[in-house]
Amino acid sequence: MTERILEVRDLRVQFEGRRRGDRPVLAVDDVSLHVDDGETLGLVGESGSGKSTIGNAVLGLVRPTRGQVLFRGADITSVTSGQRRALGQQLQVIFQDPYSSLNPSRTIGSTLAEPLRIVRRASRRDAAAQVEHVLAQVGMATDTFHRFPREFSGGQRQRIAIARALVLGPKLIICDEPTSALDLSVQAQILNLLLDLQRRLGLSYLFVSHDIDVIRHMSHRVAVLSKGSIVEQGPTDEVTGSPSHAYTRALLAAVPVPDPRVRSV
Amino acid sequence: MTTTIPHSGGAVDLDGVASPLGVSGPSRTDPRGRTLWRAVFRQPLAALSIGYLLLVVLAAITADYLAPYDPSDVDLNQILSGPTAGHWLGTDSLGRDVLSRLMFGGRLSMAHAAIAVATFLLIGVSWGLIAGFFGGWANRVFTWLIDVIIAIPALVVLLVVLSVFDGDMTIAMVALGILAAPGFARVVRGVTLGVREELYVSAARVFGIPNRHIVVKHILPRVAGPILVHASLFAGGALLIDAGLAYLGFGPQPPTPTWGGMIIEASAVVSRQPWLLVPPGVTLGLATLALALLGDAIRDAGAERTGRAPARGSRPGPSGSMRSSTASRPARAQATDALLSVRDVSISLSLDGRQVQVVAGVDLDIRAGETVGLVGESGCGKSVLGSAILGLLPAAGKVTSGSIVYDGIDLASSGPRTMQGLRGSGIALIAQDPIAGLDPVYTAGQQVDELVRRHQGGSRKAVRARSLDLLNDVRLPDPIGVAGRYPHELSGGMAQRVAIAMALAGEPSLLIADEPTTALDVTVQSEILQLLRRLQRDRGMAIMLITHDWGVVAEMCQRAHVMYAGHIVESCSASEMFDHPSHPYTLGLLGSMPRRSLPGRPLPAIPGVVPTPGSWPGGCHFAPRCDFAMPECTEAPIPMLDAGAGHGVRCIRYEDIRGSSR
Repeated sequence: MTERILEVRDLRVQFEGRRRGDRPVLAVDDVSLHVDDGETLGLVGESGSGKSTIGNAVLGLVRPTRGQVLFRGADITSVTSGQRRALGQQLQVIFQDPYSSLNPSRTIGSTLAEPLRIVRRASRRDAAAQVEHVLAQVGMATDTFHRFPREFSGGQRQRIAIARALVLGPKLIICDEPTSALDLSVQAQILNLLLDLQRRLGLSYLFVSHDIDVIRHMSHRVAVLSKGSIVEQGPTDEVTGSPSHAYTRALLAAVPVPDPRVRSV
Repeated sequence: MTTTIPHSGGAVDLDGVASPLGVSGPSRTDPRGRTLWRAVFRQPLAALSIGYLLLVVLAAITADYLAPYDPSDVDLNQILSGPTAGHWLGTDSLGRDVLSRLMFGGRLSMAHAAIAVATFLLIGVSWGLIAGFFGGWANRVFTWLIDVIIAIPALVVLLVVLSVFDGDMTIAMVALGILAAPGFARVVRGVTLGVREELYVSAARVFGIPNRHIVVKHILPRVAGPILVHASLFAGGALLIDAGLAYLGFGPQPPTPTWGGMIIEASAVVSRQPWLLVPPGVTLGLATLALALLGDAIRDAGAERTGRAPARGSRPGPSGSMRSSTASRPARAQATDALLSVRDVSISLSLDGRQVQVVAGVDLDIRAGETVGLVGESGCGKSVLGSAILGLLPAAGKVTSGSIVYDGIDLASSGPRTMQGLRGSGIALIAQDPIAGLDPVYTAGQQVDELVRRHQGGSRKAVRARSLDLLNDVRLPDPIGVAGRYPHELSGGMAQRVAIAMALAGEPSLLIADEPTTALDVTVQSEILQLLRRLQRDRGMAIMLITHDWGVVAEMCQRAHVMYAGHIVESCSASEMFDHPSHPYTLGLLGSMPRRSLPGRPLPAIPGVVPTPGSWPGGCHFAPRCDFAMPECTEAPIPMLDAGAGHGVRCIRYEDIRGSSR
């Protein structure tokens, strides 16, 4: 039987207004979802739907106003920095922007070795060996280690960001629009890599994207978000094949079909 | 860097033109860590400044051994001598050697400045980092303290400190550092606030990496540039203040030499021996100047390193001709009914100081009322081609050959005046980022008004009425309300509608739409695409649609051109493109779409990366990534071949590929 790796219960996130006196913004409103072992849950929605905020709340980067985040049954809604260090070995992230997600002033090697040296207290040599192992896993050459981020293209940087997420051997990875900044052919390479890693390492993904085609390709189950709430959730082929909610239907209909014969209007 | 183009209804994002070209491969190999200093040393003035400062410091350190005399040796036979063989810089009113006193005096003066700088750095950096990184109450206390300290008159405090502590310069210099630190801390805080939001800091947090480690390893290196600039400038200031205090009679008393003290002694006898003022004055002045120049050099080097330096190179000259080679090759058969006809156009841009070809031998035609798609990935040259048609190539970019004929005029060889006349009224542009394309200090209505006034003129009332018509035409729900709003008050979709209204103000016959919906949500995208289709139908306007999205091509275009590494590799009708793709790159790009594949199965991705301009392979540009490549593909450039029925393809194996795609 598969085990539940992540569960989010009645999550609500409210942001203070930008200026004093502004009304608080309700970014996520009573969202409940779960991810099982080896499964991908796709979170799809338009900008401002709160999909990234859910990911950030799971990662502890934003503080929920209410609700619970459970990782393997343990409450991780607010944890100490020590617990966060332990959790970081299980729960990782890949961000959208491959340019700002790597520190431009450090080599790839020192960026990837940092968690091993600090969290695992690995020796310099063990850390280097592990970093080379994950770089090979994502298809990067060994000489990547001594280079700087600016020497790489967007797709290569995203591979490096994936290697960083893998370096401690996590079980669940939050993918926050991991291919939105990439070209179509590079997106295909990265999606293939993510699918391949999932198969080989038994990873679970919480896959956040605005692109319903990508979500359909990657996810076992889908949750559709609109204005901070989930409007529809279920197996991918059901949600994208016979959507029951009007918003899901509108979202699906809006995607231009890459076939001139089915031109809308 | 976004340049707003006056009177053309939008903006061209130069980043989008130039930067993707530079990131498609491991092209640069110089590691970054030590390059700041290398970049500083490359500037001659900075190297001179560093050399001078080193000389002064070394002279002070080695004064015990190298100074020709003891600084207190009095020789009453030789007073106020001026430079002589025995005393290179002369002697003072007690016959003491000026050079020796200058060397020994530097010790105290520079030590004082160093104390002030150390205090300044310690307080400014730690305070700024803490306030910026942790925010909350630390930030509030910080802001409050700054307000208080800035209100304190520094000189008065210094004088009070000196009189309380009996002229102790160490304490005075610490006080100076403290008084100057808040302004500096504010700078550090500002930079820290920005870096704190970077994703790699979030990634480190997810790993549970301790805050102090994040601050030291991730934040500090990024704020090092501004820190060095400010420290350098402040060091110069501290030297001057030290001398100034000495002039007021504070600090070490005679006969102990200091630079400031020497200036006072010289001023007492200035009528008898004016030379005496020169050695300490020039030494101090040059030291301050050197520190200021060094600060500037560090700032410039930092800007260069992060790519924020102003682009070097010149805009196309005022003589007007954008084309450098006047001997254009004979144009190929021109479609007689074409509104725009691009023939054999090559374009080069300046990348990293070299002229690099980014578009090579492109042919395309756009007929009146037609929508033509230009499809490709970043770095293929599609946006550059669009900019060239509008005469908006970035600095030092030029059309090196070929012709761009619009309505009988060759744009590639016509002057800026012709271009200016055509932009907006003949050819208009809508850009990818609609909000950045609008000027933030004017309302949407004022910006539309400006274009209507330019193209049609008329009274203020008539202009506004026409603007509201246009805003109504682009189906904005509340034209009067929107006209009164500023760009930041508009959503992305509304801003794009305003940008389209501006593009329509001159009633153009060709609209260049550079990724017009890429920044928008899908539901908004479909509304904008519908709007463009309707406007085209009503006005008979032609559209050149630059996009990477096959769905948009299928929805909008009659014809499509696929670009790869500067070439058009395939041209045909849109339906033919989807049904019978004949170039392996087109095939690969279509296959990369998740929609055309089974969920969860590997996508037939194209291996490798797009080659950067300047490193294009000989022969077919796609050959190194192509499954169909044969030895002939790399031997010579592949021409555009006619595959029948208006279908052109730059591949010698197009028949095999067309067969495989069935």
